[in-house]
Amino acid sequence: MCVWFPSWPLRRPDAPSDEPCQVVGPDGMVTAANALAVAAGVRVGMPRRRAETLCPAVATLPADPGAEAAAFEAVARAVETVAPGVEVAEPGLLFLDVSGAVRYYGGEEPLVACVARAVREVAAGARLGLADGPFAARAAAEGETMVADTEGFIAGLDIATLGVSEIVDTFRWLGISTLGDLAALPREAVASRFGRIGLEAYRLASGEDREVSPRSLPQDVAVEERFDPPLRDLEQAAFAAKSLAHRLLEAVGPGIPHLVVVEAMSAAGEVRSRTWRSADPFTEGEIAERVRWQLRAWVEGGGIPGGMARLRLVPGDRSDSGRQMCFGEDAASEVGARRALARAQVLVGPDAVLQAVPQGGREPGERVRWHRWGEPAPQPVHDPKAPWPGRLPDPAPALVPPPCRVEVEWDDGFPVRIRLGSRWEEVRNWAGPWRRTGRWWDGEQHADRYQIVTSAGAFLCEVREGDCYLVGIYD
Amino acid sequence: MLERAWTAGCAAAPLVAPGRVLGLVGSPGLGLTRLGLTLLADPAHGAAVAFVDVRGWLSPLAAWEAGIPPEHLVVVRCSERDSWGRVTAALLEGLAAVYAEVPAGVGGGVLRRLGALARARRAMLILRPLSGSLPSGLAQLKLVAEGVRWEGADSGHGRIVRRLLTLRAAGKEVGGIERLYEVEDEGTDVVRVVSQLAATEAGRAVG
Repeated sequence: MCVWFPSWPLRRPDAPSDEPCQVVGPDGMVTAANALAVAAGVRVGMPRRRAETLCPAVATLPADPGAEAAAFEAVARAVETVAPGVEVAEPGLLFLDVSGAVRYYGGEEPLVACVARAVREVAAGARLGLADGPFAARAAAEGETMVADTEGFIAGLDIATLGVSEIVDTFRWLGISTLGDLAALPREAVASRFGRIGLEAYRLASGEDREVSPRSLPQDVAVEERFDPPLRDLEQAAFAAKSLAHRLLEAVGPGIPHLVVVEAMSAAGEVRSRTWRSADPFTEGEIAERVRWQLRAWVEGGGIPGGMARLRLVPGDRSDSGRQMCFGEDAASEVGARRALARAQVLVGPDAVLQAVPQGGREPGERVRWHRWGEPAPQPVHDPKAPWPGRLPDPAPALVPPPCRVEVEWDDGFPVRIRLGSRWEEVRNWAGPWRRTGRWWDGEQHADRYQIVTSAGAFLCEVREGDCYLVGIYD
Repeated sequence: MLERAWTAGCAAAPLVAPGRVLGLVGSPGLGLTRLGLTLLADPAHGAAVAFVDVRGWLSPLAAWEAGIPPEHLVVVRCSERDSWGRVTAALLEGLAAVYAEVPAGVGGGVLRRLGALARARRAMLILRPLSGSLPSGLAQLKLVAEGVRWEGADSGHGRIVRRLLTLRAAGKEVGGIERLYEVEDEGTDVVRVVSQLAATEAGRAVG
């Protein structure tokens, strides 16, 4: 379930209600605009200067995410009185895992009614949406609907729902106007044309966002700091949060936590906690920022009695995105590596930046399953632990060119000379043959593989139907 | 440095250093691809490494046998000479080690810029020209394959198990003195220098 307040940053005392008004973030982009400003052409995500050109009378307020988060804490608490499992994505937007609560309340409708009632008591104007997965739930909240058929609902959404302006125009130009149109395309084609960003759009359009696949995190990776005497100053607590965030990322590795539980214990032993969620893995700065917002929210919402005696951060990860490679511990190197590979993908295309997983097979080519970098590693098609009679022995040839015919001179069944390019090389030694029987019932011919050693190197050759082919180079 | 490390019997690891440019020169079949993969194995234990595959022939099996974890090997296929330099430069910007086959016709200026980038980014760059050699002075260490001897196969019996690769080392890392080494490789992630065959005083232009 999604609980969303449109233009939450505008819910502040200094925001005028009878004139155009916008909130601008530290990066100079509009983060919220009221109806009068929107009517004049102002849009969220627009640069401030452009917004002010379109609507010269607009009142501009600087964003204060800390205050917004503090105000939103009341909403989160209200939702929590109905069901646990609240995840705050940003001030004004939270998600609730209702899989267990639906049964408790006897259905989705009673649950939604309870949440709506609880939210209404603390803030008006909430939009609630219910669907499978955060993306669909957020879209459902726009129309305040309860979606029974999430797949059908997503398929009918306009392509602009993706919010990825870089490719939405191209999609429209190609005649793809809904997410259903996008999901109907072959995944390979989308990946080939649009790369990672296209794949992410495809993932959302085909409803894969619903699939929650928890990654196992070690139990003891939570980091905490105890304070004696208890901290009473918010700035001191925020400073402690910074070092905790650093320790947390050191413990779990970069690119991992999409969820972070902030837990504070008061001197009296009372524990408060709040879960923050992000579509992308949290960085150190983002974690520290969320903790600071949360602490401010608790302080402004009644304080932490006796001061904060313990601050604890617990990582969680319930998203597949970001799981690409198990890089090393160095956050900078991991981010840099990803950026470098993404850049290479742009230059040569997603089909040319590859990784591979081992699988079973008899030929060197069969024993490798390729996949694009950035996509989840596929499961092996053939069991690598099966015996595979006729498999070539190790070491494997380092180079496997496409099979090409080579001339080999034989003497009484023994290879004597091999023609490499324009010159003949004497065979110094050889081993084999290893026979591949082939699926004769499918018309496959058998083949004999030989290791042929010359002064120019060692080669893997295959003899089938009387012809000899070079299939590997032991380079 | 090379001589000390290699005669001590720990061949591959000391050769691998951040910011080092290594050249592997020799025709296919002499065993340089596997030697390069063995050199990549060390940095691949902590981070991703890339293999720029110009011909699209690399078998990851050999890389895994050489000790590169599958999840850390990224193969970038790039057969176009014009984009090869940009692709390799992009990889050097973020990866710890890059093995790049050099397509025929790539200019010396491009290679020198890549070498400078590798030093600036402290990334290890292994260059393997598919034809010809490398410009002099580019690689701190250039290993030229002089010959290879395979053992294990015997007139239809056995299988190839071991090879002895004769390498001529040149460049700043060997103090401007060309040296011949014989390296034993059993197809695993360990290569061992068997002997230093000879050393000859080289001219100043040795690269």
